[in-house]
This record gives sequence, structure tokens and C-alpha cells, in this order.
Amino acid sequence: MTARIVVGEGSCGLAAGAAAVYDALQKALPADADARLSITGCVGACYLEPIVDVYDADGVLHRCVHVAPENAPAIVSAVATGDYAGLAGIAIQPEDEQFLSKQTRIALRHCGVIDPESIDEYLADDGYQALEKVLKTMTPEQVIEEIKISGLAGRGGAGFPTWFKWNAARASAGTEKYLICNADEGDPGAFMDRAVIESDPHNLIEGMLIAAYAIGCVEAVVYVRAEYPLAIVRLTKAIKQARERGYLGKNILGSDFSCDIRIKAGAGAFVCGEETALIESLEGSRGMPRLKPPFPAEAGYWHKPSNINNVETYANVSWIINHGGAAFAAMGTENSKGTKVFAVTGKVRRGGLVEIPMGMTLRDVIFGIAGGIRDGRKFKAVQLGGPSGGCIPESLLDTVIDYKSLQATGAIMGSGGMVVMDDSTCMVGIAKFFLDFTTKESCGKCVHCRIGTKRLGEILTRIVNGQGKEGDVELLEELCNTVKAGALCGLGQSAPNPVLTTIRYFRDEYDAHIRDKKCPAKACPALLTYSIDPDKCKGCSACAKKCPVQAISGQVKKPFTIDPNVCIRCGACHNTCRFGAVNVE
Amino acid sequence: MQSCNHPSVDLTLLEDTLAEYAGVKGSLISILQKTQEIYGYVPIDAVYRISERTGDSPAKILGVATFYSQFRFQAVGKYLIMLCKGTACYVNGAERILDAVSDELGIGNNETTADGLFSLSVVACLGCCSLAPVMMINGTTYGSLTPDKARQILRDLRKEAEGT
Amino acid sequence: MSDIKLTINGKLCAGKSGQTILDIARENGIDIPTLCHNDTVAHYGACGLCVVEAEGSPKLLRSCSTLAADGMVINTEGERAVQARKIALELLMSDHDGDCMGPCRLACPAGTNCQAYVKQVALGNTKEAVRIVKERLPLPASIGHVCPHPCEKDCRRGLVEEPISIALIKRFMSMDQLHAPDRWKPEKEPATGKTVGVIGGGPGGLTAAYYLALHGHDVTLTDAMPQMGGMLRYGIPQYRLPKDVVDAEVAEIAETGVKMENNVKIGRDISFADYRAKYDAVVIAIGAWSSTPLRCPGEDLPGVYGGIDFLRSVALHDPLPIGKSVAIVGGGNTAMDACRTAVRLGAENVYVIYRRTKNEMPANLDEIEEAEEEGVQFKFLTNPAEIIGSNGRAAAVKLQVMELGEPDASGRRSPVPVEGKFETLAVDSVIAAIGQKVDPAGFDVELNKRGIIAADETTFRTDLEGVFAVGDATNKGAGIAIAAIGEASKAADVVDSYLRGAIVPYKPPFVSKRTVTAQDLADREKKPRVHVNNRPAQERKHDFEPVNDGFTAEEAMKEASRCLECGCHDYGECSLIQHANRYEIHPERFAGEKRHKDLERKLVVIERDQGKCILCGLCVRVCDEVAGEGLLGLVGRGFGTVVKPEFRDSDRIKVCASCKKCAQACPTGALKILD
Repeated sequence: MTARIVVGEGSCGLAAGAAAVYDALQKALPADADARLSITGCVGACYLEPIVDVYDADGVLHRCVHVAPENAPAIVSAVATGDYAGLAGIAIQPEDEQFLSKQTRIALRHCGVIDPESIDEYLADDGYQALEKVLKTMTPEQVIEEIKISGLAGRGGAGFPTWFKWNAARASAGTEKYLICNADEGDPGAFMDRAVIESDPHNLIEGMLIAAYAIGCVEAVVYVRAEYPLAIVRLTKAIKQARERGYLGKNILGSDFSCDIRIKAGAGAFVCGEETALIESLEGSRGMPRLKPPFPAEAGYWHKPSNINNVETYANVSWIINHGGAAFAAMGTENSKGTKVFAVTGKVRRGGLVEIPMGMTLRDVIFGIAGGIRDGRKFKAVQLGGPSGGCIPESLLDTVIDYKSLQATGAIMGSGGMVVMDDSTCMVGIAKFFLDFTTKESCGKCVHCRIGTKRLGEILTRIVNGQGKEGDVELLEELCNTVKAGALCGLGQSAPNPVLTTIRYFRDEYDAHIRDKKCPAKACPALLTYSIDPDKCKGCSACAKKCPVQAISGQVKKPFTIDPNVCIRCGACHNTCRFGAVNVE
Repeated sequence: MQSCNHPSVDLTLLEDTLAEYAGVKGSLISILQKTQEIYGYVPIDAVYRISERTGDSPAKILGVATFYSQFRFQAVGKYLIMLCKGTACYVNGAERILDAVSDELGIGNNETTADGLFSLSVVACLGCCSLAPVMMINGTTYGSLTPDKARQILRDLRKEAEGT
Repeated sequence: MSDIKLTINGKLCAGKSGQTILDIARENGIDIPTLCHNDTVAHYGACGLCVVEAEGSPKLLRSCSTLAADGMVINTEGERAVQARKIALELLMSDHDGDCMGPCRLACPAGTNCQAYVKQVALGNTKEAVRIVKERLPLPASIGHVCPHPCEKDCRRGLVEEPISIALIKRFMSMDQLHAPDRWKPEKEPATGKTVGVIGGGPGGLTAAYYLALHGHDVTLTDAMPQMGGMLRYGIPQYRLPKDVVDAEVAEIAETGVKMENNVKIGRDISFADYRAKYDAVVIAIGAWSSTPLRCPGEDLPGVYGGIDFLRSVALHDPLPIGKSVAIVGGGNTAMDACRTAVRLGAENVYVIYRRTKNEMPANLDEIEEAEEEGVQFKFLTNPAEIIGSNGRAAAVKLQVMELGEPDASGRRSPVPVEGKFETLAVDSVIAAIGQKVDPAGFDVELNKRGIIAADETTFRTDLEGVFAVGDATNKGAGIAIAAIGEASKAADVVDSYLRGAIVPYKPPFVSKRTVTAQDLADREKKPRVHVNNRPAQERKHDFEPVNDGFTAEEAMKEASRCLECGCHDYGECSLIQHANRYEIHPERFAGEKRHKDLERKLVVIERDQGKCILCGLCVRVCDEVAGEGLLGLVGRGFGTVVKPEFRDSDRIKVCASCKKCAQACPTGALKILD
């Protein structure tokens, strides 16, 4: 068997330098070597990128991490000699292997394994078998029934039963129906949809085609974020390949079923993740949500019956058809079946994509898989669900991951962003961060969202600036609850969640900002005081040189001082001092 | 018809795109994206030309173009810095990177340096959260930034530009 | 054919399937507020005011777009729906940059619509101007002569150069119409059969009587003096307000059916109990007719008078003897009236004793300057310490010399005696014009701590059933005439509601206000104020004829045309402000950044005021869906979204058909059709 050298070229890998590694390997690899160099997508262990998987002649995997171009000759020689001892310095460590071994991969099962640009590799790994099975042996009703058995729910955020949407769209009158894939993954901190498209585009195509068959759609559209150029490139290639091989287009696999898929690139608007706003955008308009009802299943794209699911939802479909809905339903909890992909980021030791069965606890994921908090700091909160979600404190870390349990905390499952924060993150600041985001991304149509989020942001801003007033927290709560009730679409209805959850779990931090004018996390610049400890200061003047406003003065070799009236609290002195002499309070 | 406030652009460059999408309903955003690819931004004259060909009113086209953050109405610098302020980047100190970049270049968000070399655009999330904080310059992603590292990257690019 | 039935606010309503909840509610007379909905265009759902609660639904429903279903149970005024609506209005108002009313109207204690009547004067339409002013003020000619015009102090034209001469304009237009044969006459509501007795024929009593009569009530106005007019007749000298002007306006009020009885004093000629028994309601408007005593030794000497007592004696053609040298104590308008009257009576040395300086004087500057021109000598920073008698009469005033100390509660620097420093001024008489007191003798109503009649501030009720009180006689005591008029006109509505069975307290309307600085108005063309020339002091000081003739028609029009028209043209029809007033809202809780307030006239015949735009999108949708033009678009996203027309200037007239449909659809004053 020919050895294989596979370079992880997802966006993260490329950002970490995978392209240079690939070039170096190509250069180092002799033309006559019995080894094949190829790429794969993202295996999800982003913190180890660039990753190079070396399969020896026996098919045994030797995974190399943090690979630099300089390591190329060593890899090539290991492949040539069969002696992998020379790669010990870049070999994956056992605890890092756990990051992957503790996961259960369905939606991500091909990611980081096959070459996303090769339909043959997909076919070799059971690709398009589910489609063939559906077209040749199942009626649309049977497909929907299988999805119903699986318990699959929308992975984009709301968790609505997938079969129900399909069935509603199927039941709607008319022959012109559309299938839409929401790949406008806008939640900052979530990137599993990008990973699926970049790493396993055919799986998405296959899932969409099965849905299109079940519903009766002749045309399908993937709405991809403009910020995902690589995903667009790979999906375009995959669509072309699928069309050439007869998996897409007229009379697919010789059946009566015809369907084609096209890509529409978004243009930068978070609100287009909301399904009716997405439809408006697809139609070439401003992405402003429509009133519901009518729901898209009755009147969606061009006012025809339309079904919208997100990438991860479709990515589960082929597995369910191949293995049966029951196998999927066997995983998870009473109300949430199957697996869910999370993008674990923030202050964890091992960040990346994690696919786990529903029912694991947050602690399992954050500490068991992601390795807990890095830099020896203390866990403070985990943010789930992005701008629509909430912050969960340490006391709730044993919460089980399923739709209902997470909702009970005030957060939501969301699309799977899991941003972990340590004690250096200010929870009022994080609420403000999200409100700044939603204010910027509000489409501006409805009053509650347009002005409500703006005012929430302003109140939070004054609190972090030390100008909060007694009663501000109550005012925030009142406004939050009304915005939730009165906003037109999901963006506005969920925008207050980060504020409400931080108030619920971290009220003391709000009070400290408002009453004591202190930021317990020492993160809000306006509330900090910088001073120099005369006992520790060596009088080196490094801080004074760094200070952008000349607030620091003194004589060399004597303790320096900071003029608090001039200081702009940028922290440059604190970061510069090698003696720990700059105090922050 | 020429507008007096804007430098005139060669509208013939648009013709292929307009022909490609002629009669394809719902393609306004795609046309605008192509327009921006051609000119580097969406010139106001192009808006009127698109209006003439598609029948959409200029008010609608501008309404669409200004809704989406991708579209720009002024030429950008040689290097477009997209600085990520997603959650993971925020938690990992994106504010400090933004301060450093702003300070290094003397420009704020959505501004271009006087020499036309750099434009800065703060974006929501680039999806490279594990490498936070990150920025993307002309398609290349730079991860695990520190203020000093960000400054160095910009200095290298400036040197590169001045060298050519 | 109706085929569905639903319950709205407990009422069973029938409707057709396909109708929205809003449609059916409206057909059944249930009003659900909305700002962005209009039957000519598709549903939009932006404003969020039309939300209602539906039994069994955890979510609020937008009634403008939610289809009614058989058996629905809807509550349009549930707590959650009202809260969402209220906060939507508070948020909208927190971002609203516009003036419902001009600052002049807001400053007027009677809320007269200055901007509107000034505009009619500018157009040469004094009849309409008088109709407008009489909505709030039945004595515009009298008040036009005497009012200290707080409106002018707040006039925004003052930020450009000088405020509009609103009082002189009012005087002009009212005088122009005073005897005009075809002058405007008010319409009366049908007779109610209810009777009201109004006690006091001054500005407050006359006003209450006038509006109550217009409401259809049988009103009797009772006054202790020989003629109606109160202080206008007996407190204001003839040279400021000719008595025939008062006569004419009193006659106008009598024409509305008000019965007038003079020389009837409560407690002397009829007991208050007997008076009350005659009427379904009584309004006390007796004013403040006693002078505040000086409280210094010698104040009881003959030759020491109260200011208003002196002025009244002159009005009654029986002036109190003042001699050749008179000292008037006080710095208010009554002091100015007294000193200038003394000059006109032939006094040779007229002094004004005032314990602070000219800067602190409460009198109008015009009055002070005119008095100076007429030879009045001001003794600033002095205070009477003692009236020294000789031969049993006042002969001199011993003055304590004062200096200014720290500012007091009113913000003015308070006078402090300079120890041991005195002056003596030889005089024949002393007139104390330092204030007025209420004399409530004969009225057994509850008084406040200061001995003034206590009346509720929103209902004007006293402690006696059916007895109301307004003006100088109540609460804070003496003020200016227009304030008494303001209270009286509000009280007339309250009394009317009382007589009709359910008292409705006065509630000041919620209004939007714009903050404007001189810088905002820097581009306005400077147009100097039109000044009138007073007769020379040497001439006028010898008679009681008016100091000036007021504006000519030409001058009035020119002056009126300087108005910046700050108040919103749409105030009367603005849906936003109507809804805002339906709920108790406090937008100041959400005070924050406002969108910009650009004005532009790109739409040929329409001026667009972005500050008043609520982004309901109606203009955009109407231009697109109804007019078929699509000239307006929403530009930008989120909070910063603005509505903008987009066509090249050269296309302007050709492209915009000037159909005005956008402005007609606008629920606020953001779009104004230019005349």
C-alpha cells in the first residue's frame, strides 16, 4: 500500500500555515517516492494546526501537529524509511488524542479524513449510498418517517423537528418548491458549518438531495456567508463533480427525480441567518425579516413553499438513512437525539470542533475534552448560542447538553458556539459586547430591536464606564423582557439573552460596577487604576517609554510614578514591566 | 449622464455581468458583488447603470447595497485588513489588537491610510476562532495575534509594498 | 358573509376568514394603535404597537398581520401588550428629534398657539388669527397690551438675532378685529341646563365664564366691583391698556350668554352658602386684591398706600393724594405701573426703592427703561427701614443701604444690609408695591398654610363639593394674567366634565421637544426685529394715552414672517403623539443617541425631516406599491437606517410625480408638503 501524507487544509489550518507546509512537503517529496501527498479538511483540533496525517504503508496513522515547513524533510524521510521515531517532536500527544477519541462523529465523520475536493474519496467512504437507497427503495413519505424516527431537530438554533418542516413543505400546495440550505453561519464563535462545507461538501449535497426528494423540490440553494471564500470554492467544485457523475441535475441516478443546487453568497448581514430574512436576501432584497405566518413551508422563496435547514442538519441526513433513524435516536436524551457539534473556543486549553452525543454535560466537554482552562486561571462562564444565547456559570456546569436543559438555564443550544471564559472576562463587558453586535446587526425594521438593542447597549456602556446608576439593572431587565416579547424576529427576540443571563448569574458584577465603580475582572479600562509599586520598581523607565500619553515620570534607577489624571488606562505599562511593579486595581 | 460628485468609472466593464444576469430575478446582490469585484467598490454611477438594465430603482439598489456590510462605496487601500471581533477574538483580546492596528496605521474602522495602502474593517467573525485573535489581509489569515505581532505584520507588508 | 367569531376584549365579534385581528377589531369599534399599517400597502410589522394577547398563546401577536381564527380570545389591552406598546412608544420618542409645539407655545401658561396665529398674521388673516388665539384666550386684545410675554423669552428666533414680537402681534391682530363687523364668533355647544356661578370678573373669571358658556352651560359671572375686568381694569393703568379695549372684550364674552352681575360681594351682599345653593357648580376666581404690607415702622401713617390700592383709585377716577414726591417700593410690574402713573398724575420726584439692582428686577425691561425715560429715579440697593412721619403724615423714608450677597433659592443674589449705613429720602407719600395677598374673607373653603385658597392642581377642586378655584386666589398666589387665564380655561374643561357626570382631571399633554442651539441655526438669514416707536417721554408722561400705537398691518406682517415655525405642522394629526398621549410614557428613561436631524427638500414639493422619521417605511412602501415609483429607499441598517430618495438632481422634477402620497401616508410630521 502506498503511504499517504495528508495536510489539513481547512481555513484554520491554512491560517496556521498549512499551505506552506504542503509546499514544503511537495518540494521535499521525490517524484518517484511511494507516497501520495494530498489534502483534507478540518479534523477539528484547530489548536494543533497545522496538522499533517501520515499513513504508513500499513495504513497506520501517525499524526503530526504544529507542523512547520522545516519539518517536511523529516516527514518525507520517515515515510521513505518507515521509521517514524524521528517525528516524535511533532507527534500528537496522548492527551491531545483524547480530544478526538472522546468524540462521536456523525456530521463531521468525513471531516479531516477525506479530501474534500475529491468525489472519489467521498464515494469510497460510503458516499452517495444513502441517496441511492432513497431514490431506489424509499418513497418520500418513508424518508420523512425515517427522519421522524431519528428525532433529528434543526441544528441552527431553534431545534425545531426536521421531519415536521419537511412534511409541512411537502404538504403545501404547488409543484414549484424550493430547498434552501442556511450556511450563513453568523454566530461569532461558531464555525462547524464552514468546517463541513470545506471538509465534506458532498455530504451536504447528499443530505440536501435527500431532503429535496422527500419534499418534492426541483431546485435547491445554498446561502453561504461571504466571509467563507474557501467553503464557496470547495462547494462549487463538489457541485460540479456531482453533476458530472449524475448525482445532481436531471433524472438523478436514472430516477424520475431531478434537482439542481446553486450557491448564493451572502453579503454580510447576521440577520440573514433568520430564515425569512435569508429568503429576502436570496431574492436580492434587504435582508429584513418577514412577518410570520405565513411560514416558509407555505410561502417562502418567491412565495413558494420552501424548506430551510442549516448545514449541520443536512449533514446528519445521509448517516441517518444509511444507519436508520433508530440508530440516531439511540444517542442522546429523551428530548434531544443524536449528536451535536460545538465550536469550543475561548480560554480553553484545547479549542476546536467537538461532536458529542446529546446528554453529555458541559463539564464533560469543557474539562473532559477541551482540557479545562488554560494558563492556570479559573473558569468563570461558558457562553452558548452566541448573541442569542447566554452565559452559564460554574454552578451549572453539570447541566446536560440537550435543548430543554440548556434553555432552562436561560441560554440556548444555538448553532453550537461554546466560548469559554475565565476570571479575566468581565461579564458586564461580555453582555455589552453582544449587544454592540446585535445593535450593529439589527436590520432596523422593528422598533423593539432597532432602538431597544441600541438603548440596552448604551445602558451597558455607561455601566462599564463607571457611570451606571442605581436602578439600571432593573431598567435593563424591563427593557430586555419587552424586547423579547415585542421584536419581530428571532434576532431581536433573543438579543436580550446575554444581558438577562449575565444579570441572573453575575448580578454581583453589575452591582460592583454600579455601586463601587469597580470591575471585579479588572477588564473595564475606565474602572482601573494603574500605579507603580515603589518596592518593585527598578527605575528602568521601560514603562515610561511605552506610555503613549507620557503619564509616567521619574528618574532612572528610582521608582517611577503614574499620573492618574493623565493615564488613559491602556495597560501598556503593565504589559511592559518585567518586574511586576505596575499594579492594576 | 455623469454625476459631478464622483470620479467617473468605465461602465463598459459592467456589461458582461449585466448580460450574465439579464432576466435572472433576484440577482441584485450577485450583480453588486461582481461590481465590487470589478471596481473594488460600488461606484454610484454603476448603481444607475444597474438600475437602467435591471429596472430596479436606484433607491432600491442603494438600499440593498447599504444593508450589507460587504459593500463599500469608496475605493479601499491595497491591503484590506479585516480584523475579527468575534466572541472568541474578543475574549482573547481583540480590542488590544484593534488599538495596535489603529495606532500603527493612524486610521480607525472603515478608514484608509492617506497613502492608500491600508484599509481597516472590523468584522464580526472570520470563523477561525481557535486561532483568536485573528485578522485577514487580502485573503490571508493571521492568527494568535499579539499587539506587537500585528504591528510587525503591517510593517512587513508596508516594506513589501515599498519594495515593489 | 361573516363566517368566524372571536372574542375581543370580552366582546363577541364576527368576521370573515382572511381578515386580520386588526380588521375585525376596527369593524367592531375597538381601536388598536398602529403606526406602520395602512390598508393600501402590504403588512410590514415594524412598529410593534398593534400587539395583542391571545388566549393560549405565550407570544404577543401583531394584530395587523395575524389572521383571525374562529374562537380566538383576544385581549388588546392586556398588561403584556400594553407594556410592549408603551416601551415601543418610549423607544420611539427617545429617538424622536422634533418639536411638537414651538417653544413659544410651551412657554405660554395658557398654551396659546402662538406659532399658528403669528403665521395667520403673516398671511394677513387676522380673523383666523383671532379664532386661533381664542381657543385658549378670550381676551387677546387686553392681554396683547399687558402680557409680559414669557413666549418671547423662549422664542427660538432669539438664537438667531431677536425673538418675534409675539405680544405686539397679538395686540395688532386683536385690535384689528376688535370692532370688525365680520369678526369671528364662537360656536356654542347645545345647552346643558346646568348652571355655574363664577365669582370674580378678572381675566380668570372672564375666561372660565366664557369657555363654560361655550360648553353650553348657563353661566353667571359675579363681581364686587362696578365693572368687569378685574385687575385689567383696576390694576393696569390706562396708558398701558385703554379701558375701552377691556369693555369691548367683556362685551364679547357677554355675547356668549354669560350673565354678568356687578357690585355683588360674597359675604357682604350674599353669603357664600346661599350663592353655592344657586348653582350646580361654582368657580372662585377672586384674585389677590390686598397689598402686602411693608412691615416697617411707620407703615400705618397716612400717605402710605398699597400699590394696587393706588392704581385702583386712579382707575376709579378718585386718585389717592400722593403729593409732589413719591417713593414706590418694589421692583415688579406693579411698581412700574405705580411710578409711571404717579408721574402722569404730576408728581415731580418719583423714586423707586428696590433692594437689589436693575439686573434683578422682576419688571419687564421695557417698562423699566420707559419709566427711566419718564424721569423716575431708581434707588437701587436700598430698603425702607422706617417711614418717618411729620404732622401725622408720611414725610420721609429712612433707607437701609444694601449690598448683594450669595444667590438665594431663586438664583438671584440676595440683598444683605450694610450695617449702619442709612439714607433718608424726603417724600410726601410712599406706595408699597411689593406684592399682593388674597383676601378669602367670606369663603369658607380650605386655605393653605399661606392663607391662600387650596385647589387641586389637576382638577381645580376645593374641599367643597362642586366648588372650584383658579388664578391668583389659589395655591401659589398672585401671578400674571395669562397664568390665571390658563388655569381658568383648563378648569372650564374640568368643570364641564364634572357637570356632565364624570370629572376628567387636566393632564398636560406629552410632547416631544427638540434641543436647538444657536449653532444649529447659524445658516438662518438674519432678519432684524420690527420695533415700534414710543411717543416721546416728554409728551407721554403728561397723559394717559398709550405709549405707542402698536404695529401697523405692514409691520405686523413683516414681523410675523420672521417666525421659524418650530412647532410641528402635523401636531394635530400626528399618530405618534396621539398614541404617546394614550399611554403614560417616560421616554427620558431611555435617553440616548438620536439619529441625525437633517432637513432636505429633494422630493420637489416635500420637505423631509429625518429627526421625526420613525422608520415605519410607509413612505417607501407607498411610493413603491401605490405610486409605483420606488423613488424612496431605506438606506443603511439597524439604528442608523434612514429613508432617502435616490435620483439625480437633474431627474428631480421628471422622476418624482409630486403625488404627495408619501407625505399623506406619513404618520408623523417627518414629511411636510410645502405650500
